Amino acid sequence: MKEQRKVLPKGIGAADFDKAVRELRAIVGDEYVLIDDEKLAPYRKIMMPVPDEQHALSASVMPDGVEEIQRVMKVANKYRIPVYPVSTGKNLGYGSAAPVQRGQIVMDLRRMNRIIEVDAELCTALVEPGVTYQQLYDYLQEHKLPLWFSCPAPSAIAGPVGNMVDRGVGYTPYGEHFLFSCGMEVVLADGQVLRTGMGAMENSNTWQVFKWGYGPTLDGIFTQSNFGVVTKMGMWLMPAPPDFRPFCIQYPNETDITKIVEALRPLRIAMVIPNAVVIAHTLWEAPCKPVKRADYVTGPGAISDEAVKKIQADHDIGAWNVYAGLYGTKETNDANWKIIEAVAAGTGGKIITQEASKGSKALEYRFDLMKGKPNLGEFGLYNWRGGGGSIWFAPVSQAKGSETLKQMRMAKTILAKYGFDYVGEFIVGWRDMHHVIDLLYDRSNPEQMEKAYACYDELLHTFAKEGYGMYRANTAFAEKVAATYGPVKRDVEKRLKKALDPNNIIAPGRCGISL
Amino acid sequence: MWSRRVIGIAAACAALCGSGGVEAAAWRDGAHVYEKVCRYCHEAGVGPVIRGRNLPVEYVQRVVRFGNRAMPAFRPSEIDDASLADVARLISSGTPLAKE
Repeated sequence: MKEQRKVLPKGIGAADFDKAVRELRAIVGDEYVLIDDEKLAPYRKIMMPVPDEQHALSASVMPDGVEEIQRVMKVANKYRIPVYPVSTGKNLGYGSAAPVQRGQIVMDLRRMNRIIEVDAELCTALVEPGVTYQQLYDYLQEHKLPLWFSCPAPSAIAGPVGNMVDRGVGYTPYGEHFLFSCGMEVVLADGQVLRTGMGAMENSNTWQVFKWGYGPTLDGIFTQSNFGVVTKMGMWLMPAPPDFRPFCIQYPNETDITKIVEALRPLRIAMVIPNAVVIAHTLWEAPCKPVKRADYVTGPGAISDEAVKKIQADHDIGAWNVYAGLYGTKETNDANWKIIEAVAAGTGGKIITQEASKGSKALEYRFDLMKGKPNLGEFGLYNWRGGGGSIWFAPVSQAKGSETLKQMRMAKTILAKYGFDYVGEFIVGWRDMHHVIDLLYDRSNPEQMEKAYACYDELLHTFAKEGYGMYRANTAFAEKVAATYGPVKRDVEKRLKKALDPNNIIAPGRCGISL
Repeated sequence: MWSRRVIGIAAACAALCGSGGVEAAAWRDGAHVYEKVCRYCHEAGVGPVIRGRNLPVEYVQRVVRFGNRAMPAFRPSEIDDASLADVARLISSGTPLAKE
């Protein structure tokens, strides 16, 4: 059957494209280059409120190894064809595995799924981009290694390299993932292989234990960028604590967010609570229970505050639901538990322990995530609206009560204007919060598609006016989000791009960076 | 050098296709795919139950490759054609999985 090729890279003729494909096939093997429209379907599936065609790829190439990537780079440079690297390709709601711009070749690194090393004494791992959290979890279990890692909610199918490179977060004490990475291997556009930090030195055995090396620390420029292809990453693993005590504290009122944040911030900064605390709104919890939206809302428009209150009462959900854990010995956790009980009592919160959580799906998946056990429980969120539309609106906030309430109210007002519900949570760093809102809509409904796009646009620009920037954004809004960070930063990024990738072949447009 | 300190990967991921001294993981069979991917949603109340419903094999394969509403699509680099065919057969026939 003849292959159906539909999308050519911008400015590339069919003859040159076909030549490039032949050369790519000679490198990786025929079966690992796809151009047939039907076979590319999995790469086209997006959740963003823009037409699939906007992010349609020209081909997929699946190299297995650094040497093959170097050779792919040569072909890309020769024909000036852009390649878009993906790791596990599960950046759902941020662009999935589709390229940032139409007509790029996805360089799918999923076949590179080797766990190269786990050092049980130093608690480190070195992994390739195609390794999933599930695979790493199974490895540690099978080798009876008492080590934990931090993972994001889509953990069973996502992986540590892609998540770290996009600066994702998780829920254990190692939840700020880039902070707990240590050493990268990067293939540059000219085919050179850079090892960052101590990895640059021949015969070094400290690549995964000391982050900085000598001179400028380069790792950061390979995250949320397009300056190279990350082919290996070191990560720190956490010794499983002798005693792990996850808990939830429920609060009855939306305005309680101020006292929650004020009470928890000192505990987080002092590391009495060592992990990334999550403060989840009712409507984040409800779909994971599961609660059906249709039982509480009829007709168009956002859900009313009264209906949200009714859900809280009917299903024993707080207006805010705080998730955190104690990680230590029985003795240290006993001592810290008294502090947690006192804080909950002093702020009007109701504690739910692990024992009391049995049977609640919403609590169980959270408690598992807080010890780095992969699951997909949070995908229950997608059933709230149905229709497969989701984009994450994710501004950064100070960890101050007044700021969080202000951001929540701003977001809720704008969402309601377009008929969408506030489905949000705050993930507490040490001094910041990732305010993560899932803008859920029905992607099969053209009107909702249009509204979701306009809503995100208004959220982005209204928040930027107040000085609130995104920690991460979907590919459809990459250019607009980058613009909110001002011209000087963008100019420096462009100069770096010109120096490292003069032919603009690695993911042009990624995070707004292009020549 | 790191390559001399390689531990190697799990025996359970032993259908191997590696290069460079460390083996890459691969699926043992369709039941392995179901256990590590499908069940997280389809036996957890997130996605619909799919086993025991006589869903046609071709339909299951197509939904996996194309996705369906919020269900992510899975690429051949994640679930190869042979493993997908096997898990689709298991789902369709309702064959008990090894764990049961």
